[in-house]
Amino acid sequence: MSPLRIALTKGRLEKDTIKLFQKIGYDCDAVINKGRRLILPIGNGEIEVVLAKAADVITYVENGVCDLGVVGKDTILENGHSFYELLDLGFGKCKFALAAKKGSDFYGGYKAITIATKYPNVTRAFFEEKNMDVRVIKIEGSVELGPLIGLSDAIVDIVETGSTLKENGLEVIEDVCPISARLIANVASLKLRKKEIEDLVDLIGKEINP
Amino acid sequence: MRKNLKITPEGTKDYLFEECIVSDDICVKIKNCFTQRGYAKVDTPCIEFYDLFTLEDSGYTQESMFKTTDNKGRLMVMRPDSTLPIARMAATRLKNYEMPLRLFYAQSVYRNNPTLLGRSNEVMQMGIELIGATGKRADLEILTTAVDVLSATVEDFRIEIGHAGFFDALIEKMDIDEDTSESIRLSIESKNYSSLNTILDKLPESAEAVAIRKLPRLFGGEEVIEKAFKLCNGTKAENSLKYVKELYRSLQKLGLSDKLTIDLGIVQKTSYYSGIVFNAFVTGIGDAVISGGRYDKLMENFDFPNGAAGFAINIDEVVKLNLKGKYRDKGIVPEVLVCAKDGYEIEAITKTKELVKQGIKAVFSTFSTYEEAKKYAEKTGVKEIINIGE
Repeated sequence: MSPLRIALTKGRLEKDTIKLFQKIGYDCDAVINKGRRLILPIGNGEIEVVLAKAADVITYVENGVCDLGVVGKDTILENGHSFYELLDLGFGKCKFALAAKKGSDFYGGYKAITIATKYPNVTRAFFEEKNMDVRVIKIEGSVELGPLIGLSDAIVDIVETGSTLKENGLEVIEDVCPISARLIANVASLKLRKKEIEDLVDLIGKEINP
Repeated sequence: MRKNLKITPEGTKDYLFEECIVSDDICVKIKNCFTQRGYAKVDTPCIEFYDLFTLEDSGYTQESMFKTTDNKGRLMVMRPDSTLPIARMAATRLKNYEMPLRLFYAQSVYRNNPTLLGRSNEVMQMGIELIGATGKRADLEILTTAVDVLSATVEDFRIEIGHAGFFDALIEKMDIDEDTSESIRLSIESKNYSSLNTILDKLPESAEAVAIRKLPRLFGGEEVIEKAFKLCNGTKAENSLKYVKELYRSLQKLGLSDKLTIDLGIVQKTSYYSGIVFNAFVTGIGDAVISGGRYDKLMENFDFPNGAAGFAINIDEVVKLNLKGKYRDKGIVPEVLVCAKDGYEIEAITKTKELVKQGIKAVFSTFSTYEEAKKYAEKTGVKEIINIGE
């Protein structure tokens, strides 16, 4: 039988997931000493880890070339959802928040509002729920610049400690939603390889919520 | 500049040689499964009125359909599904026929998927609709036909059966607003345990809430039914469970053993389903290849209250699986090339036909000289050249 293939989001989520796998008894040396390789075996080869960028983890799982994936809720909210979301892994915690210049009256007046963000879908959904018609501009990085140099009235972005906001004179107006790492599964894989996946999910579940 | 002159629209493709041969072969196999069971073929128009697909519960969003207008400015769509057009057709042109109607189709559906995801916007489907029949026998007829189709076309498969009535009965008793029940449905559909728990935590604790919490995990063999019975003691959901158990037991007689599973968490986006719902999965395909179920209430929309059930199979995915890298040129290089000297063209064509009748793959040469024909034969591997008029 081919190994169960799991796509991990490169970087911190990858490290936290590997720690988790070690705790539940998998040999992860190959991933720790990975060099430049992107496909690595763990345990006795019954699981194969694929390292990918966050949004690509979803693409691989949705297309069924990976059975499972570990990806942040932020990426899930922004990039669609035709897969199963099996577990909240509890790490990689942060939040989406709406932030503007300190002291600005964001909800006041009737001015048409512009938001700068790396997450246009999350932003749209948030304001649609409030029945607010806003203009969304997609920015690729350092979204904090938006309100500072006059591109937008506010931003929607990932906030961890809030120190970047503070240092740039911005403040959180409202939390949009909490974020953490999730274990996702391909729809067909969960049916075709039910036992293997469920056993793994149970093992992980016991480790994170004893 | 015509920059789109040489490309096909995103999500569509040309099908060549082997792809067409394999596809035709699979379509014939499936067609045989259908006709042997008494299903008759129907075709519906590719373009339908928008109204047909915006019926309540049809499950198609505005942006997922390709639209155009007719010359009166009315909104039209390229069908995203064949069940609704066939329901319309049965309710009008076949309304005086003796029920049940056994209909099958082989036609493409069109969906305007988000770009750059690698999804097909044009999908060839075959499927059946059994209209005017309800109950265990009708459901078994549909399910066993699906098993026939899969056995004829793929090596290994799983069929999972659920029941729309199970979830509906639990939700109904919970007395919550439509938005909440829709978000619950979505969480179950995506087996999103954490979001399901977040929603349910806000609601008062009840036996139904406990059952719904477990719903995404209620899939597997017959043990699932027993687990579910304990969860929904004394509710209407029990009836659906009893029914699924009965069907499961009957289907076991086909010797499907581990190919057949139960998933009480199937809550289809297309919520016109009212009874059994089922999907089939095949190793190597990342999504369901077959999906179907019972849609007893749908026909009321056409003032034709009749129970009905059916399923559709994604032909393109099955073809891909059967091709497995076989993209060869088989079928286009002839064995014999029949050339004609000037004035002997008709004789050569007649000769070609004779050879073909004998089972030889012969082709009439369109080159004006024997030398050109010879050059072509050398390049492509044609074994023999005949020159008529020598």
